Amino acid sequence: MKRTVDVSFPVGPVHPCWKEPARVKCETRGEYVLRAEVELGYMKKGIERIMKGRPWQEVMFLAERVCGICSVVHNMVFIETMEKISGIAPAERAAYLRVVANELDRIQSHLLANFSYCYTIEHETLGMYLLDLREKVMDLLEKLTGARVNKAYMVPGGVRFDIGEETRHAILGSIPRIREETKRYRGMFSGGPMIGLRSKGVGILSREDAGRCHAVGPTARASGIAVDCRQRHPTYMKLGFSPVVRDEGDNFARVMVRFDEAIQSLSLVQQCLERLPEGPVLAGGICRAGETVHRGEAPRGELSYFVKTDEYGRIAEISIQTPSIMNIEAAAHYMMTGAVSLADVTSIFISADPCIACTER
Amino acid sequence: MQRVKNAVRSRSIHVCVVDTGSCNGCDIEVLACLSPRYDIEQYGIYVHNNPREADVLLVIGAVTPQWEDKLIALWEKIPEPKAAIAVGNCPISGCVFNRHDSYVSAPASKFIPIAAEIPGCPPRPTEILSTILAIAPLAFKDFERERK
Repeated sequence: MKRTVDVSFPVGPVHPCWKEPARVKCETRGEYVLRAEVELGYMKKGIERIMKGRPWQEVMFLAERVCGICSVVHNMVFIETMEKISGIAPAERAAYLRVVANELDRIQSHLLANFSYCYTIEHETLGMYLLDLREKVMDLLEKLTGARVNKAYMVPGGVRFDIGEETRHAILGSIPRIREETKRYRGMFSGGPMIGLRSKGVGILSREDAGRCHAVGPTARASGIAVDCRQRHPTYMKLGFSPVVRDEGDNFARVMVRFDEAIQSLSLVQQCLERLPEGPVLAGGICRAGETVHRGEAPRGELSYFVKTDEYGRIAEISIQTPSIMNIEAAAHYMMTGAVSLADVTSIFISADPCIACTER
Repeated sequence: MQRVKNAVRSRSIHVCVVDTGSCNGCDIEVLACLSPRYDIEQYGIYVHNNPREADVLLVIGAVTPQWEDKLIALWEKIPEPKAAIAVGNCPISGCVFNRHDSYVSAPASKFIPIAAEIPGCPPRPTEILSTILAIAPLAFKDFERERK
């Protein structure tokens, strides 16, 4: 079919708004975007090929380095997969501490994603507020795990070290202030008239389209699909978790879902630390042969690991499916098509919270 | 004249960040430098991500095949005087990715001259900040006089 195209407009791979390299090719007529396509392949490192044939003790660190923003959840899902294969049950105290680490990581990831969005729509003030708040969350993560980004906190059977009483009180003490500030910035975002003009009704992903392109995570939940792997996780079930859902499906909804989830995560952290059971943080066990698929909820959506091990605990086969790939396709094929302005292309792409390092590995 | 240029160049540094295949950890630590706590702009460092107006190139990541030619092209676009800083273990040694069967071709110094290296997986924002501040007066000092 012949299409009338004014300009085939490339965005990226090195772009002021993007943290990572990706290229979006937009076919435009005037300012109107007819079609968009995302070109990937700038970050392919072949991490799954490196993982093959290595013992789990090494793969654990590699799994964490699939993505630097959501490193805790990659660690958690890989370790839970190994536990599922070998029939190891984590210590009860450790299961709660894992949730604390995972939720703190989710908060910082969501705040970073919202910072990127505010930065892209040129609302730098709110962006800087959010980045400052993120540093406070990073402090708590550092207190808990001892590192800022690559933590390697979880091991099969539990976590690496126990939380001290002092650290527990420090984290519990700073939660009210972080919650208050998150609520304040959420109010600033939802009430800002200029933000509304740039965000409401832009990049709409309908419920049907979200289902068709298999959108996951906050992108799907902003389109009215209540999908969240945490609903099936045993520790989260004890905490009475239910997902945050909105049904507008535009940029505004996606950012608001992330704000609401950050507030929800804070109360999950608080619950965990308040009812933290006594006991050891490490249960025994041996990693055995077997194969299985395990799913977990990353900040960006469903993350699944397929792992096959041999009798020495070495990884024979591994396949990782990360959430961003579906969300990037959703952004390119459904949200960007029909965008009224080229200026919205970057903000739509960022609102889906793409993580290129995860996607390509 | 040269003295004025030296003074200005050490207090007004434009930075371009290029991710050539990292795990994203160093990217967000560079991004964290922008936050009010570290406040990179109070030292006169501006992160633009535009190679045409950059003075310092922050190279992140173990170079992937896609970047082997693009990194050199990007480096040539930056006007003189310029300096490249390798952030994190990846552009220095390849870190965990530099193994048999992977696609990376670390170190980055095979492709462009690296003026300074910040080891760490990832380095802390303060380390990135202090390295940029330390390298700028040294790399750009008496540039015109030495070129003659």
